[in-house]
Amino acid sequence: MKKVLILLFPVLLLTGCEDFLDRPPLTQMNDITYWTTENNVRVFANGFYSNYFVGYNNTWGVAYAPLRGYLFADDFASTGKQLSFETQAPESRQGTSESIDMLPTYAGPTWNFAWVRKANIFLDRIEKMKGTYLDEEAYNHWSAVARFFRGYEYSRLVSVFGDVPYFGHDVGDDELDELYKDRDDRTTVMNQVYEDFKYVLENMRLSDGDAQYLNRYIAAGFISRFMLFEGTWQKYHLGDNTHASKFLELAVEAGDLVIESGKWSFGSAFRTLFGSESLAGHPEVLMYRAYDAGLGVTHHIASYSNRNETQPTAANLDLARSFICADGQPYKLSGLPNADKEDIQTMAATRDSRFEATFWDEPQIPAATLLYATKFIDREGVTYQGTTPPPRYGSNTNTNDAPIMRLAEVVLNWIEAKAELATLGGPAVTQADLDASVNAIRSRPLDDVASDKGLVQTAPLDLGAIPDDPDRDGDVLPLLWEIRRERRMEFVFEHSRLLDIKRWKKLEYMDGDLNPDILRGPWVDFPAEKAAGRIDWLVEAKEGILKVEKENGTIVTYDGDNAADMVGYYIPENISNRDPVLDRMYLAPIGNSQISAYIDKGYTLTQTTGW
Amino acid sequence: MKKFLRWPLWIVGLLLLIHFEGVGQSTVITGRVVAASDNAPLPGVTVAVRGDNRGTVTDVDGKYSITAQPSDVLVFSFIGMETQEITVGNQSTVDVALAESSQSLQEIVVVGYGEQKKTNLTGAVSSVDTKVLESRPIADAARGLQGTTPGLNIVIPSGEIGSDPLIRIRGQFGSISGGASPLILLDNVEIPSLQLVNPDDIESISVLKDAASASIYGAKAAFGVILITTKKGAHTEGVKVTYSGNASFQNISKKMEMAGVDGMEYVVNAFERVGSTAVGALGWYVTRDSWERAVEWQEKWGDKVKATDPMVFGRDWYVDENNRKTGVRVYDPYEFMIREWAPTQTHNLAISGLSGKTNYNIGLGFLDQTSIVKPAKKDDFQRYNGSVQIGTEVNKWLKVNAGTLYSKRIKSFPFANPNFTTDPWLYVYRWGPTFPWGSEDGHPLRSPAFEMANANTATMQHNYASLNGGLLVTPVKNWTIKFDFTHANQDYLYELPGTRFTAKNTWATFASEKYDENGQRVYVDETGAVVAAGAPGAIPAYEFELIDYTGSPGAGPDHISRSASNAQWNTINLHTTYDLSLDDVHNFKFMAGMNRVGYRTAFHQATITALSDITNPQFRLATGTQTVDGNEYWDAQLGFFGRINYNFNEKYLLEANLRYDGTSKFPKHLWWRWFPSFSAGWRVSQEPWMDWASSTLDEFKIRASWGSIGDQSVPNSLYIPTMSGGFNSWLLGGSKLYQFGTPVAVSSSVTWQDITTLDIGADIRLFNGALGASFDWFRRDTENMIVPQEGIPPTYGTGAPRSNFGSLRTKGFEIQLDYSHSFDNGLQLNFVATFADAVTKITKYGTTKSIDSWYVGKTYGEIWGYETDRLYQAGDFVYEDGELVQVQSEDGFTVNQLADPNAATQGYLQSGNFYFGPGDVKFKDLNGDGVINPGNRLIDDHGDLKVIGNSTPRYEYGFRTGASFKGFDLNVFLQGVGKREIWGSGFLAIPGFNIYDGAMPQAIAGDFWREDRTDAFYPRPYDMGGANTGLNMQVQSRYLLNMAYLRFKNITLGYTIPGAVTERIDLNKVRFYVSLENFFTFDKLGGLPIDPEEVPGYSLFHESNYGLGRTGVGVPTFKSASVGVQLSF
Repeated sequence: MKKVLILLFPVLLLTGCEDFLDRPPLTQMNDITYWTTENNVRVFANGFYSNYFVGYNNTWGVAYAPLRGYLFADDFASTGKQLSFETQAPESRQGTSESIDMLPTYAGPTWNFAWVRKANIFLDRIEKMKGTYLDEEAYNHWSAVARFFRGYEYSRLVSVFGDVPYFGHDVGDDELDELYKDRDDRTTVMNQVYEDFKYVLENMRLSDGDAQYLNRYIAAGFISRFMLFEGTWQKYHLGDNTHASKFLELAVEAGDLVIESGKWSFGSAFRTLFGSESLAGHPEVLMYRAYDAGLGVTHHIASYSNRNETQPTAANLDLARSFICADGQPYKLSGLPNADKEDIQTMAATRDSRFEATFWDEPQIPAATLLYATKFIDREGVTYQGTTPPPRYGSNTNTNDAPIMRLAEVVLNWIEAKAELATLGGPAVTQADLDASVNAIRSRPLDDVASDKGLVQTAPLDLGAIPDDPDRDGDVLPLLWEIRRERRMEFVFEHSRLLDIKRWKKLEYMDGDLNPDILRGPWVDFPAEKAAGRIDWLVEAKEGILKVEKENGTIVTYDGDNAADMVGYYIPENISNRDPVLDRMYLAPIGNSQISAYIDKGYTLTQTTGW
Repeated sequence: MKKFLRWPLWIVGLLLLIHFEGVGQSTVITGRVVAASDNAPLPGVTVAVRGDNRGTVTDVDGKYSITAQPSDVLVFSFIGMETQEITVGNQSTVDVALAESSQSLQEIVVVGYGEQKKTNLTGAVSSVDTKVLESRPIADAARGLQGTTPGLNIVIPSGEIGSDPLIRIRGQFGSISGGASPLILLDNVEIPSLQLVNPDDIESISVLKDAASASIYGAKAAFGVILITTKKGAHTEGVKVTYSGNASFQNISKKMEMAGVDGMEYVVNAFERVGSTAVGALGWYVTRDSWERAVEWQEKWGDKVKATDPMVFGRDWYVDENNRKTGVRVYDPYEFMIREWAPTQTHNLAISGLSGKTNYNIGLGFLDQTSIVKPAKKDDFQRYNGSVQIGTEVNKWLKVNAGTLYSKRIKSFPFANPNFTTDPWLYVYRWGPTFPWGSEDGHPLRSPAFEMANANTATMQHNYASLNGGLLVTPVKNWTIKFDFTHANQDYLYELPGTRFTAKNTWATFASEKYDENGQRVYVDETGAVVAAGAPGAIPAYEFELIDYTGSPGAGPDHISRSASNAQWNTINLHTTYDLSLDDVHNFKFMAGMNRVGYRTAFHQATITALSDITNPQFRLATGTQTVDGNEYWDAQLGFFGRINYNFNEKYLLEANLRYDGTSKFPKHLWWRWFPSFSAGWRVSQEPWMDWASSTLDEFKIRASWGSIGDQSVPNSLYIPTMSGGFNSWLLGGSKLYQFGTPVAVSSSVTWQDITTLDIGADIRLFNGALGASFDWFRRDTENMIVPQEGIPPTYGTGAPRSNFGSLRTKGFEIQLDYSHSFDNGLQLNFVATFADAVTKITKYGTTKSIDSWYVGKTYGEIWGYETDRLYQAGDFVYEDGELVQVQSEDGFTVNQLADPNAATQGYLQSGNFYFGPGDVKFKDLNGDGVINPGNRLIDDHGDLKVIGNSTPRYEYGFRTGASFKGFDLNVFLQGVGKREIWGSGFLAIPGFNIYDGAMPQAIAGDFWREDRTDAFYPRPYDMGGANTGLNMQVQSRYLLNMAYLRFKNITLGYTIPGAVTERIDLNKVRFYVSLENFFTFDKLGGLPIDPEEVPGYSLFHESNYGLGRTGVGVPTFKSASVGVQLSF
C-alpha cells in the first residue's frame, strides 16, 4: 500500500496537462485583436511621426535633417573635389525596414516599400473598423491620415526614382505577379497620390486635439510642397501642361486653406524659427518637433552651427550673391552704399536680414568657404567659440525645437504654383498674392541683435517693378526668378534646394564649369583679417595653397611675398569641380541586384532611364 | 563513473577471496594499492600470483597481504585500471600505484534516463574524460571541454571574463530560424549556463550527438545534449576530503601591434590620392606636415619620452594655421590598456562520504578572476559554488535523495559607456596613433583608458539555486521507478551606475588658447618649454579645456540603471526501468517515463538620470528623468517517452525510442508530435568466427542509428502577427509618443522543424585495451526548416513571412583515437586524438538561383568573391605626359587605359573618384569576357565570382598526450581548426577602412603599396569611407582572413609526493603542478591583432553588432600561467 501511495504522488502532480501548454506571448499586441478602439488607431498612427516629421532627426542622425543631411546642391562648396552624383548604378539599393534612410544626392528615400505597406495596412484596418469601432467622422479622419502618409511616401519615392510600382493595397505574399510588376509611369502614380491628397483636404480633421497631432492644415502644407514639385516637374521635364496645371491647382488649393485660415502669421524673427528651445505657440509654425534632454530626445544640428564644429561643406559665393539687398534689388542693381562689395561683413550689413540670421558675419576658419552658417542655433549658442559650450549647444545633446511645417513654406509653394499656373493659362499673379507671400515674409520683425546692427526689413516686391536681375537665368521669367530667389534665401540648408533645381530642370547649376561661383567663397581681405587677429593665413604653411580670385578672374596664389595682394574671392583649398552633371542624374538608378532578383524569378524590373 | 564501479566489484573481489582461501605458503607479502591519479586507496583490487590460482583483494584502505615466494610475480588488476605485474624478489612490502587505463571495455556511460555499458551502446554518445578539467586554470567547464570530444564544437569568442563560450554539437548551424544550441542538462535538468557548474562537482559528462540517443529528451534536444551528472557521495564507508587550489596569471595572448607613424603615412597617401590635404576625427588631424614632424619626433624624442609621460604642447602637438589640432607624438594603446599577468585564484573543497546507508557529497568552490584590462578600477569575475547531495536507503525497496545547488556569479566591469555597440575598446582600435592618452598639466586627458579608470563599476550578478528531491523505488528485482522534482530559480541583477567624467577634452574639435595665471598668453618653444613671447621659435600655446562630460560619445547622461530578472524552472522527471533476461541470452531493458518543464521569466528595469553624487549612484540620490520597462515570458514542454533495449547475448544490440512531445511554442492544433528513433549494433568481435583475432582484438562493433526530433527553438510568436509596442522619439505634450508597430508578416501554417539524423559508427579496441578507435559518420537533415519565404521582392515592404519552406542537410564525421602504454620501468604514456568535420548544404529553398540567397546546393558559410591576380604595377598602364590616360571601357566605364589591350578592365568595380591604377588590386577574369563583374549574381550567371572560402570552422581537431613517471606527470593538450575564412570588417581587417579615424594594425601600415615598395601585400592606400567591401577591397581571395589555428590549450607538469611520505602526515595525496593555458597560438593572420577564434560583433554585452560588428575590437583574449595544488585525506 505504501508503495502505491508513493507512486501515486507524482501522478497527482501531472494532472492538467492541456492547460500547461497554453502559453501565448504575454507582452505583444497582435493584428487580429488590436483594431478595436480609436485610441489604438491613434497609437498606430504615432508610428509614422518620426519618419515623416523628422525635424532635426535624433542624436547623431543626419537623414532629412537640415545643415547635416542636405548638403548637396548648388548652394555649397567643400575643399578638394566636389561631391559628385554616383557614376554608376549601385550593387544594391533596397530596404524593407522602417528606418529613415536617405540618399543624400537625391534628398529622398531608398528603394523601400515598408512605409507603403504600413500605410496600406493602416488604411485596410480602418476600412474594417468603419461602422463598428469607428463612427463616420472618425473613419473619415483616420482614413485621410492613412492616405496622407501613403501620398507622402509615393511623392518621395517618385521624386527619387521617377517611375515606381504603385500598390494601392496591402499586397499579400502570394500575389507574386503584383509584387513583381514593373514600374508604373510616374504620372499614373502621382494621379493616385492626387486622389489621396484630395481626400485628405476634404476629410481630415481641422484639429485633432493637441495642435501637434496631424491635422488638415499641416497636411495641406505638405500637399502644397508635393504638388508644386510634381506640377513643375510635369511642366519642365515632361511638357505635360494638363497634368502640370492639375497638380499646381491642388498646391494652390492647399495653400489657400492654410493662408485663408488666418491661424498663422509672420510675427516672430527669423532666428526664432530654428534656435528656440520651444516652438509651442510660435505664430509661424504649423507643426514642430520638440526635443527634451530630460526625455533623452536630443539632436546635434545646433552643434554644427556653434562656431566650433567645422563646416567642411559650406555656403558658396553663388548662394551669398543670390541674397537680395535690403532695398529689394539684386546686388548689381541695388542703390545701397557698398551693395557691390562681397566680403562677408558688408554683405551681412546690406543684404536681406536673413543673410545675417543665416551666417556669422565674419570669416570663420571652420567653414570651408569661410562663410559659416549659424542658422540653427540661438544667439547665445554662438558665443562659446574656443570653449566647450553647455550641452544644449554641443555634441548630440541639442534641444532646440525643429520647425516641421511653417507658414513661409506654404506661402512660397503657393505663390510659385500661382506664378507657374499663370504661364499655363491661369490667372495672373496679383500684388495681393505677393503681399500675402513674399512680402509677408519680408515683413517679419527683426530681433534686437539685427536691429542693433542697423539691419532693416527688406523692401517689398512690387509687381509693377519686378527687378530685372542681370544674373537671371534667361529661361526664367523675372517674377518666377524673384520667387525662386526668395525660396533660396528662406530655405538655405533646409530640404528644398536640390529638389527645386531638379524640378526646374536646372541641375546644371551644380556644374562648376557653367556656374563658377559655386566653387568660390566670399570676398576676403587676408591682410585685414590678419590685422584684426582673426585669420592668419599669411604664413609659410599656406604658401602655394592659399588662393584668391580677383574680380577680373585672375587667380593669386600666396607665395610668401605677395601678402598684400591676397585680397579677393576666397578659393577653398584644392577645390575642383564635380564629375560632369548628366541628364540621367535627375533620377536615381536602382540596384543591379534588384534587377537580377527579378530576372531570377522571370520578371522584369526596368532600370531608370540613362543608367 | 569508474569509481562508481569499485564498490560492487569489491564485493565480487571478496567472493573471490573466499574462493581462494586456504592456498599458499612461503613469506607474507603486504602492501597497499592506490590509484596513481590521486593516491586514493583502491579497495577491491585483485592481487594474484601469476601462473597460480592464489589471490586476494585489497580492503577498504587498499591494503592486502598475500603469501608468495621471491620468484613469484604478483599481478594487480582492477577494472578500469592498467594491470601491473611486479616480481616479489626479497621485498616484504609491495606498494603499487595503479594507473587508470584510458579506455575500458567495462566502462559505464550515462545516457538519457539511464546508463549503458559502453560496449552495448548503439547511438553516437561520447563520454568525456573529466580528467581534462583537472588542474587547469579555466573558469568554467565549457572552456575546459574545448577540443576534447569530436563533434563538440566550442568557440570562445572574446577575452571577456565571465562570458559563456558558444557551444554547438555537430556543425555550427542547425536552421535559419531558431537556434542550434545543444540542451545542457545537469542531472536531467536544463540549466541556463555551464558557468554555474563548478567543474570540480562534475562526476561525468556525456555528449549525445545523434537523434537516437538524444530524442528521449524531446524537442529541446534537437541539436544534441550535453549530459552532466554531479558527484553524489562516496561508495565506500568513510569520509574523504579533497582540496584543490590554483593561482594563475593572465596576459594578452596575441601581440597588439597598432601602427604608429607608418599609419600616418598610410593616411597621408590615401588622402593625397584624392586631392585632400588633411583628414581627422574629433579635431585631430593628420597632414603631410604632421606626419613628417611625427617621424622627426620619433628620432628626437622616441627614446627620451616615456609612453606614459604627460603630453606637452609645442613638443607633442601643435595647432596649425587652420586651427586644426595636430599630433606629432604617437601613442601605443597597449601601454595604457593591458595589465600584464593579472591574477586569478580558484579554491575547491569537497567532502564526500558514506555512513551506513547514507552517502553524501558537499562541494564548495570559489573563483576570483581578474581581467587584463589595466585601467579599470574593478574588472573581474567571481563565482561561488555550494552543493550538497545526500541519499539514503529507507528500506529495501526505497531510496530517497535530495540535494541543492547554489551558484553566485558576479561580473564587475567599468561602466564607461551606456551603449555596448561602441565601448572604450572600440576606440582603442579606432582613433589614430596621435590621439593622446595620459595627461596634460597634471590633468587626465579624455581617452578610453581614462574613462575605464574613472567609470563606476557595473555588476552583473547571477544567483542560481536549485532544490531537488527524488525517490527510487524498486518494487521487485530488476524493476525501478525513479521520480525527481527540481525547482530552479535564477535571479539576475544588472546594475549600471553611470558617472560624469572630468578630464581635458581631447575630443573637442578645437583647442583652447593657453594663458598663465596673470592672463598672459603662454608661449612655448619646440621642446614645450615656456619662453618669452618674443623668443626665437616661440609659438603661442594651446591647451585642452578641463570639462565635465558624461559617457562617450557624449550622449549618455549620468544615470543609474538597474534591472532585475527572475527565471524559474520546474522540472519533473518520472521514469521506470525493467530489466529482463531470458535464458541469459535475450536481454531486455524497458524504460518508460515522462518529463515536464515549465519556464517563466520576468524582468523589470528602472533608470534615473542626473546623479547628485557621482561617487555613490543611488536612485534616491538622483533628480532626473525616470524610465521603466519590463517584460514577461513563459513556455512549457511536456513529453512522454519509452525505450526498449534488446541484446542477444551482448552480440546483437537493438534500441528503439519513442517520444510524444508537446510544446507551447505553436498554436494549439500543433502542440503535439510523435518522434521515433532506432539504433542497432553488432559486436562483430563476439562472433565465434572472429576468434582468430581475439588475441589482439578486444572489441569491434558496428552501429547505426536513425531518429527524428522536432525542433521548437523558435520564438513563440511565429504564427501571430504581433505588433510591438514602445515609446518613440517624437515628443508631444511633454512626453514621448507611444506606438504599436506594423504587424509582422506571418504565415499561419507554421509548424515544427524536423531534425532527422542518420548515424553510422564503429568502435574498435586492440591490444588488451591499449589502442582504441571510434568513428562516426552522420547525416542530419533539418526538414521543414522555418525560413523566410523565398523570392519575395522588396516591394512587399517587409521581410518575407517565415514558414516551413526550407531544408538543409549537414554531413560530417568524427574520429577519436586513443592509445596508452605502461613501460616496465613505470613510465606511462597516453595519447588521445580527435578529429571532426561537418558541412551543411541547403537542400530546399524555393527556386532562387541567387548566390546571395539560400539557393539549393549552397554550402552554409560559403563566401563568394573574386580571385585576386596581383597588384597592378605602373607598367600595366598607358601614360601621356606622365599622366594616366583615361578611356571608355568596353562595358561603358571610364577607366585608366591598360597597356595590354586584351587585359580585362575593372570599371564595374569603381565608384566615385576611384579609378584602378598602379598599386590597386587586379582581379582574374575567370569567365574570360574581358571585363570584371559579378554578372547577375546568379549561380548560372556570376561573372567572375567564385566561392573563395567558408566561414564555418572545418577540420576541428584536438590532441592530448600525457606521460607519468615516478610521481611526475606531464600533459599537453593541443586544439585547432583546420580551415575557416571570414571577410573581415572594420579598421583591423580592412586597409583604409576609415582614414578619418586613423588607426590600423602595423601589419597593414608597414606593408602597403608605394612606388618604392611594389611587392607590398596591401594595395595602394585609399579611404574606404567606413565600407568593408568595394573598390580594392572587393570580397576576394587575397585579403580573406584565414582563421585556421593551432593552439596549445594546456601544458601541465605535475608532481605527486610519494604515498609513503604523504601518509606520514595523514594525507592520501599531495600533488603540485604548473600549468600553461592558451600559451601558444599559431595562426595565419599575418600579424593582424585578431584572435582566430573571434566571432565579430559577438559579446556578452551585445550578441550582435558589438563594437559595430567590427573584427577584433573587443577585450583581447588572454593566456595564463598557473601553479596549483591538490590534496586529499
